[in-house]
Amino acid sequence: MSETKRVLVAEDNVVLGDVLRFNLQRSGFAVTLARNGTEALRLAESQPFDILVTDYEMPGIDGEELCNRVRNELKLDAIRIVMCSAKGLELDREEIMARLSIEAILYKPFSIRELTTLLENLVRHASPRREQLV
Amino acid sequence: MKLMIAAQHNSSLTRRLSEQYLLFGLSGLFCFTVTAIYLSWCGSLLNSIPAAVGIPLGLLLFGSFVLRRTSRWHENIERQLHRFANSGNHSVAELRPLPATDSFAAGWNQLLARVQEHSAWNGVERRLSEANHTQQAKRWEAVFQNLTDGIAICDSDGRIIQLNRSFATLLKRADSKSLVGIDILDLLSDQADEASQERIGGLINNHATQVVEIQRSNDLAQGVWRLSRITQTGDSCNPTDTIWTLRDVTQQKLAEKAREQFVFTATHELRTPLANIRAYSETLSLANDISVEQQQSFYNTINNEATRLARFVDELLSISQMEAGAITIQKHEVQLERLLDEILASQRPLANEKKQSFDFSIAPKLPKVLADKDKLAAAMTNLVSNAIKYTPEGGKVTVRVDSDSARVLFMVEDSGIGISAEDLPKLCGKFFRSSDERVQAMVGTGLGLAFTQEVARLHGGNVSIRSQLNQGSCFTLELPIR
Repeated sequence: MSETKRVLVAEDNVVLGDVLRFNLQRSGFAVTLARNGTEALRLAESQPFDILVTDYEMPGIDGEELCNRVRNELKLDAIRIVMCSAKGLELDREEIMARLSIEAILYKPFSIRELTTLLENLVRHASPRREQLV
Repeated sequence: MKLMIAAQHNSSLTRRLSEQYLLFGLSGLFCFTVTAIYLSWCGSLLNSIPAAVGIPLGLLLFGSFVLRRTSRWHENIERQLHRFANSGNHSVAELRPLPATDSFAAGWNQLLARVQEHSAWNGVERRLSEANHTQQAKRWEAVFQNLTDGIAICDSDGRIIQLNRSFATLLKRADSKSLVGIDILDLLSDQADEASQERIGGLINNHATQVVEIQRSNDLAQGVWRLSRITQTGDSCNPTDTIWTLRDVTQQKLAEKAREQFVFTATHELRTPLANIRAYSETLSLANDISVEQQQSFYNTINNEATRLARFVDELLSISQMEAGAITIQKHEVQLERLLDEILASQRPLANEKKQSFDFSIAPKLPKVLADKDKLAAAMTNLVSNAIKYTPEGGKVTVRVDSDSARVLFMVEDSGIGISAEDLPKLCGKFFRSSDERVQAMVGTGLGLAFTQEVARLHGGNVSIRSQLNQGSCFTLELPIR
């Protein structure tokens, strides 16, 4: 990796946020942790990030709203987004991915290795390319 | 039967008539011949012609009188039967008994009596059946009017011909007569939301028996109806008529929605600790260069999450028990002081975490109560943890326990978000969760209060709630001592 990629993790589940940061840092990413959507939005506005990993359900601004505002208000078109969700079939996955240019949606409980591999692939293929992972 | 026996005793009419006819005819002829011969012998035949003719003639006249007498009752019956056959109404009452006492007349009279009796019974039976029919029609009308489902019968153009009270009531019309003649689809469309209007519109161009669901607005609680149209109406209606039934399924729909919501919540609640357990265990197995302290902390996390998962599974279990109405309690003597200490000790850290003031005042001497210790503890914990959960940071939660000779009162008061008057009556319903966004932001099954209420009920007590939105709430669990 030529330069350290910056990852913003928005996760209200403190325990999960910590372990994500631990693993992503070990994989060579610079990780910033936000405990909710509002905090994530503020961080995304003030600092540049390459990747956003966000939970779907969060109090206040939820994952979908966060992505929407990142894309449409902050106009951050280049940031790659990966979403995690504890929701299952009730989520219209394809529609959300297309509308908000999301790379992948992972269902909880997901594998840490799956996530790190996914992010490494995103970094390697600089051109925007959708990864479809179930 | 008697008639037949009588007939056997007397010879038949024809025989009697022919015997009498022959008797008088032959005796007339004999008299005439004897008189003629005698007169010719005397030589005065010509002088005595009147006597020679008169005597046999008289005999014949007397014979015909006797013949007539013999057949008069038969003639009487014949006349009556002729009249009966020719009269329009064939009334048995017109037939008359014979004023005689011989077995022939007695037979006819008995027959007539029997027939008249039979006809009288028939009449009674007919009147009874008519009365019965009217009664039955009235009964069906009562059934029709009092069904909880709305029912309407429409003509081929879809205009209402007849409807019952429930139909008008469901449509919020006090007077059902005012709806007669109105197009049923227009009537229903007026009260439906857009999607439902489309479904109703789909009924216009086909004529099959069909069921559609009609929602009155986006808010399910405003009312959901299930409308069925039956086109095969059978023989008793005009074949082009249609029968429509309208059933209020609001409660059913709300329950379904609550259950759906519960499944989503439960899935989320299960996935969250699972995600954590998986992430930590995978991290431990992947990274073999992490410090022992870090490893220890990861193992602790896994343990905590597994405990949380186990607790949730227990909760699910008690929920499913409650669902099946299978919560049972085993009452023993319970020392309330100790129980309360345990509950408050377990909840205090949660209140401290939210910087809430957490006070309690327990009456100095509480009676022993007969109760199921675990269930009661769970019910009380529920009220306290709810108060902490729905009270913002820095708020106030107070627990007071008091008693009199008959009961113990466990009161939890908070300065939390409160409950709207609209939600208050539904609060203890299974799966109910307020649509208030402050409640929605928090995880919950909508079963805690239902459980608490059920436990209180099983102990012969109850839960009462006072609350004001944005001001706070007070939950009181009342428990009888014996």
